[in-house]
Amino acid sequence: MLNSVDSYLLIIEKIIGMLAAIVYLFFALIVVKQVQTMSKNVKDMFNPLLITFAYAHLVATLVLILLAIVVL
Amino acid sequence: MKRENDLDVVAPDEVGTEAPIVEKVYGITGHTKHPLSSLLINPDVFTFEEKAQQEKVLVVARSHWVTNVGWILTAILMLLAPSLLSLVPFSSDISTRYKILGGFLWFLVTFAFIFERFLSWYFDVIVITDRRVIDIDFDNLLSKKFAQADILMIQDLTFKVTGFAQTMFNFGDVFVQTAAEVPQITLERIPQPQKIIMVLQMLKEELGGKNVK
Repeated sequence: MLNSVDSYLLIIEKIIGMLAAIVYLFFALIVVKQVQTMSKNVKDMFNPLLITFAYAHLVATLVLILLAIVVL
Repeated sequence: MKRENDLDVVAPDEVGTEAPIVEKVYGITGHTKHPLSSLLINPDVFTFEEKAQQEKVLVVARSHWVTNVGWILTAILMLLAPSLLSLVPFSSDISTRYKILGGFLWFLVTFAFIFERFLSWYFDVIVITDRRVIDIDFDNLLSKKFAQADILMIQDLTFKVTGFAQTMFNFGDVFVQTAAEVPQITLERIPQPQKIIMVLQMLKEELGGKNVK
């Protein structure tokens, strides 16, 4: 009985963790879009670097989702 | 009567207006010292979407760097926070997998915080061209504010430097009253507000003089 409660709790924990990571993924996508829009409007020396950072953040978010799948 | 070619070099009929204006701006503000400076004079790379083809960008101003100190300190605290976790009672009871996942998420959020704050500083710019003064603001993804006034429409220029930090580091707000549709443009927390006003006054005189001719 106790084991089945534990397993249910683990599943709920995994679902919550995954949902949080997916919400964060949406945020990361918005950041990429935001930087692209800003860079289109105002062009300066560091724009390519900022776009690279935005994509790096997106990739790190995908790693977070993978980590949530593996670890939780 | 046809003019000699040499005469055009010595005393041209049409005096180019662009270079002397840039020189005058340099005379007032000095040259840019760093690519990430809050004040870029006669920038080579910088441009913006609404720029006209023949328009010359003379000054680009961002908020003074001191305005970033608050969020930089917050970011440093956020970066140090995980190392303080061991001081929290029962922290050793937290399993390693949660520590790994939580730590990764924490650093990701910290990076996003730093990045967002930097973006809002970097892309909120005041642009002074040889024709107009422009304020470009991005509050968030869905909000872009673009306000402009022709230099010749400027009626009144005032600035306000208040508080310890602004007085110490010489930055403040410049208020540009115009006769255009936008009655006032506020250039917030820009460095050397007196010099920005002098640049705008000089440009108004130059362009006004050119129009009289």
